[in-house]
Amino acid sequence: MNPFKPVKFSPRQAFRVWQREVSVYKHVYRSTIISNLMDPLVYLLALGFGLGAYVTRIQGISYIQFIAPGLIASSIMTAASFETTINTFVRINFDKVYEAMMATPVTVEDIVVGELLWATTRSTIYATVMLVVVAALGLTQSWFAILVPFMGVLGGLMFAVIGLTYTSFLKSIYHVNYFFTLFVTPLFLFSGVFYPLDPLPQIVKDIAFFSPLYHLVRVIRPLILGNVGTPVLFDLAWIIAFIAIFTVVPINLLRSKLVK
Amino acid sequence: MTDPSNSVEFAIEAKGLRKIFDQTEAVRGIDFAVSRGECFGFLGPNGAGKTTTMRMIGCVSPVTAGSFHVFGLDPRIHLRKIKNRIGIVPQESNLDEALPVEENLTVYARFFNVPSALARQRAEELLEFMELTEKKNSKITDLSGGMKRRLLISRALMSDPELLILDEPTTGLDPQARHHVWDKLFELKKRGVTQIVTTHYMDEAQQLCDRIVIMDRGLIMEQGNPIDLVEKLIGREVLEMRLPESLNERIPKDDPLIRGFDTYRDLLLLYSDKADALLNKIKAIGIETDYAIVRRSTLEDVFLKLTGRRLTE
Repeated sequence: MNPFKPVKFSPRQAFRVWQREVSVYKHVYRSTIISNLMDPLVYLLALGFGLGAYVTRIQGISYIQFIAPGLIASSIMTAASFETTINTFVRINFDKVYEAMMATPVTVEDIVVGELLWATTRSTIYATVMLVVVAALGLTQSWFAILVPFMGVLGGLMFAVIGLTYTSFLKSIYHVNYFFTLFVTPLFLFSGVFYPLDPLPQIVKDIAFFSPLYHLVRVIRPLILGNVGTPVLFDLAWIIAFIAIFTVVPINLLRSKLVK
Repeated sequence: MTDPSNSVEFAIEAKGLRKIFDQTEAVRGIDFAVSRGECFGFLGPNGAGKTTTMRMIGCVSPVTAGSFHVFGLDPRIHLRKIKNRIGIVPQESNLDEALPVEENLTVYARFFNVPSALARQRAEELLEFMELTEKKNSKITDLSGGMKRRLLISRALMSDPELLILDEPTTGLDPQARHHVWDKLFELKKRGVTQIVTTHYMDEAQQLCDRIVIMDRGLIMEQGNPIDLVEKLIGREVLEMRLPESLNERIPKDDPLIRGFDTYRDLLLLYSDKADALLNKIKAIGIETDYAIVRRSTLEDVFLKLTGRRLTE
């Protein structure tokens, strides 16, 4: 099977799948949004004010200002990753949501596209709420910051593609942990969220080039701090290229997994 | 222009239908045709290929080989068009536990692009029809097995389908709930909804189905009207006797009163149209046994005759 095979889907039916997720989210967002955003907010306040008391200046700005954009980026990664791994696995294997959908005029392609859109939506919601919090703390320095939700869309889609690809190989719910311990957490720590990578050995910087989060951080940080220059276009292009090349992969993989 | 598929006589037509998974051939070339408005049953032991056949009819599982049309349309080409006209009731509940009862119906209707006002109206009517109105805001996990089954049927009806596929609609239900489901299926039949049912229950097949097929190991063994099948393959009555092999051998199996027979260990089944007379005849030749009863033949006799008494799992 060629995972890069072009896919056909119905935008209207994919939208119906997305709508189902919205209907479910309306029942749960009150109880989940706080707990989901707690994580990046605790990092922001604990490290920003705690570690920030010692690390007074970093690249000419305060430590909390340095990490705030990075934590917006990582909240985009976390939201899309949870949605497309644990939540999708449960929908496939326990709740049989996709099985029910496949008995209607919805195809597997429509389902996967709808799920990608939903994970993207959720990332965008979190990026927006995080942006509001960061702005309320007076940490935004530029009107470019209003473009951050747009990066929630691109970053969310990028991580949704990665998460769904992993889930298409997943046999047991317990293996979800590997995605977080071997992929999400290392990215979180080595993608320039908490410190600039400049002083690190060249090898680390070379590896960082392949980190999707690294590029997302490098777009969001200038948007928040206002120093938008041409390097941003390079990182943006990296993200768009990733999406353009890999989006069909989880669609093809899940089709061969779900259609029997 | 009218849709040519409306003029097709058969809701489903299958010739040489096959399904192969990796190494196993679950359905090994079957022919059947279901007329519009008919209730058509698939019977067979576990592993006979019923559910696989249902999944192909529902266009959920692609056909491996054979000619197969639903409403005269080929599912390889007109997948969405066909699915739009079918309602599927699965064997195990796959209700959306993240949504309350009524939303299970309205969200499902959206997949068929039913306008939301119409969906709400239909949901209300179907909850009424299935006597679930009081539960409309309940969680799925709070419903009993019978309620879940009724909700699954309601959900399949949200798109007003022409064809309803029910995989073991009453398995696991208590007798009250079973009869309730049957009543509702009868009403749907009166409204002209074509139904395809799989079941293990012979009484269910006899109650609901105009025609049945009996499947075993991926093949159709027999098909026809349930009463005709019993008449054709068994006869009107069965004489059941338990007796040792030595006595069994002394019974003349070529007696004109005997239409057929089967032996399972010490149980002898003699198929006959006049079982009482047969019993007297057997007694007259001096064969006595503690256990000898005459009963009406049923579809279960046909089923066991065709599929054997071995355990399949």
